[in-house]
Amino acid sequence: MPKIRSSRTKRAPEGFDEIEPTLKEFQQKMKDGKFILPLCSSVPVSENDPHEGKRKVEALWPVFRIHHQRSRYVYELFYKRKAISKDLYEYLLKQGYADGNLIAKWKKAGYEKVCCLRCIQPKDTNFGTTCVCRVPRDMLEEGKVIECIHCGCRGCSSGSGAGSAKGSSSSAPKE
Amino acid sequence: MAQIKADPNKQSWEEAEFPILCETCLGDNPYLRMTKQSQAKECKVCTRPFTVFRWCPGVGMRFKKTEICQTCSKVKNVCQTCLLDLEFGLPVQVRDTALGLEDNAPRSDVNKEYFAQNMDAHFQNPDNGLGEGGFGKANSAGREMLKKLQRTEPYYKRNRQHICSFFVKGNCTRGAECPYRHEMPQEGELKHQNIKDRYYGTNDPVARKIMAGPKAGARQTGPPEDQSITSLFITGVTEDIKEPDVRGFFYVFGEIKSIVVVHKSKCAFVNFTTRAGAELAFEKSGGGVSLQGVPLRVSWAKSRPVGARTEQKGETGPTPEAVMNALQAGPPPPPGSAGSFTYPSQDPTYQGSTSKHR
Repeated sequence: MPKIRSSRTKRAPEGFDEIEPTLKEFQQKMKDGKFILPLCSSVPVSENDPHEGKRKVEALWPVFRIHHQRSRYVYELFYKRKAISKDLYEYLLKQGYADGNLIAKWKKAGYEKVCCLRCIQPKDTNFGTTCVCRVPRDMLEEGKVIECIHCGCRGCSSGSGAGSAKGSSSSAPKE
Repeated sequence: MAQIKADPNKQSWEEAEFPILCETCLGDNPYLRMTKQSQAKECKVCTRPFTVFRWCPGVGMRFKKTEICQTCSKVKNVCQTCLLDLEFGLPVQVRDTALGLEDNAPRSDVNKEYFAQNMDAHFQNPDNGLGEGGFGKANSAGREMLKKLQRTEPYYKRNRQHICSFFVKGNCTRGAECPYRHEMPQEGELKHQNIKDRYYGTNDPVARKIMAGPKAGARQTGPPEDQSITSLFITGVTEDIKEPDVRGFFYVFGEIKSIVVVHKSKCAFVNFTTRAGAELAFEKSGGGVSLQGVPLRVSWAKSRPVGARTEQKGETGPTPEAVMNALQAGPPPPPGSAGSFTYPSQDPTYQGSTSKHR
């Protein structure tokens, strides 16, 4: 759904104006990390980000990260804080401000912190399993840091203490 | 596996169902998941496409895959990944010089392909044995020597991850999550190995090292390391040498706490009550002794308690903590093999393959 407004598009439901700045910010972050507003945390940059110094798969991680964050924002507004109306929520989903499929996963038990839809897709793996980031931290040998190849997630099982913002330290270039 | 070919010169591509591998390459876990891809890569020796099998040989190891095709591996009777002999685990050059086998496999382009194709046909016929016939024959002197040169326990260090080249240069941006080893590379001559040399048995630095001197090689006969070790480790212990013989030899050096003889892995541990006794024994026999005409090698034992469990399963095993964990939480043995282990690695509690449930 295009996010452009013309005289023919319907007006957004009430309450949209309050959240619009944040949504715009997410959009900017997705496009190009240079214009980071002071509100949000540093790091993940996106489509216009230079790919130097990164692995081939690593260049895509910020896209998934921001997508997750954006959908998380909308999910929390509606389901957790109940701060927006159902109308507005559905409008947001339809306009593409959040991923309805991903949010549907968050409503399921055990999948509350799923990082992205690729990581729970068994058809994508050699042995028909889910991605390594779905393994709980205590099942992994200690001290082993995992960044999954799909989205750079470091562990999104509900029990492994992963923050819903996917941790501020992931995908930061390390020294 | 191939059908009858109308044209004898037409190459049929290999379709294998199971790889030809040595136990070490397969790793310590008896449960394995392996992927199979037909014609995924070309054989490193004969450059024909072949079926690649890929698996993880254990926790923290790199994924290994078959490097040469089945035909090439049958010609030389070697493992498809590590190219070491299937029977002894030794390089081709060592085995060939010990058994006096000639290498008549051609190396150049078309000759090589022709030879490979012929060998392929040769192996299709199930009556034909492996290799060039020399394997079944006695040649016992050579085989004895090879048995002595063999490793007694699987050498899993070769399954480790490769060294991180970024780390070597000084800047690995992946840091903690880097799957490659963050160590500096070592060992001069052994670094320059070539798969073709190793396969054909020419100019192989590992083989040179092995043949140069089993005594001169890895064994340090220097002063004892860890001060708390009071045990000596003896190898070459054949079936004829029993515990009283060992005791009879070593009791003169000091009071013996215990002796453990493991014929299965041809070794024995002599535990002294005093460090001085152990040191004296090592001094007098460290160069090598011979009991009942059998030459034995004597060295310091590694710092591990030797107990009843190791006596059953073979000498060097996991650390005591891992043993306790395995005994407490080990998975049940695979069906049909409870109690009768042909290889130590078939025992699921042997090395590291414990479940993480505590």
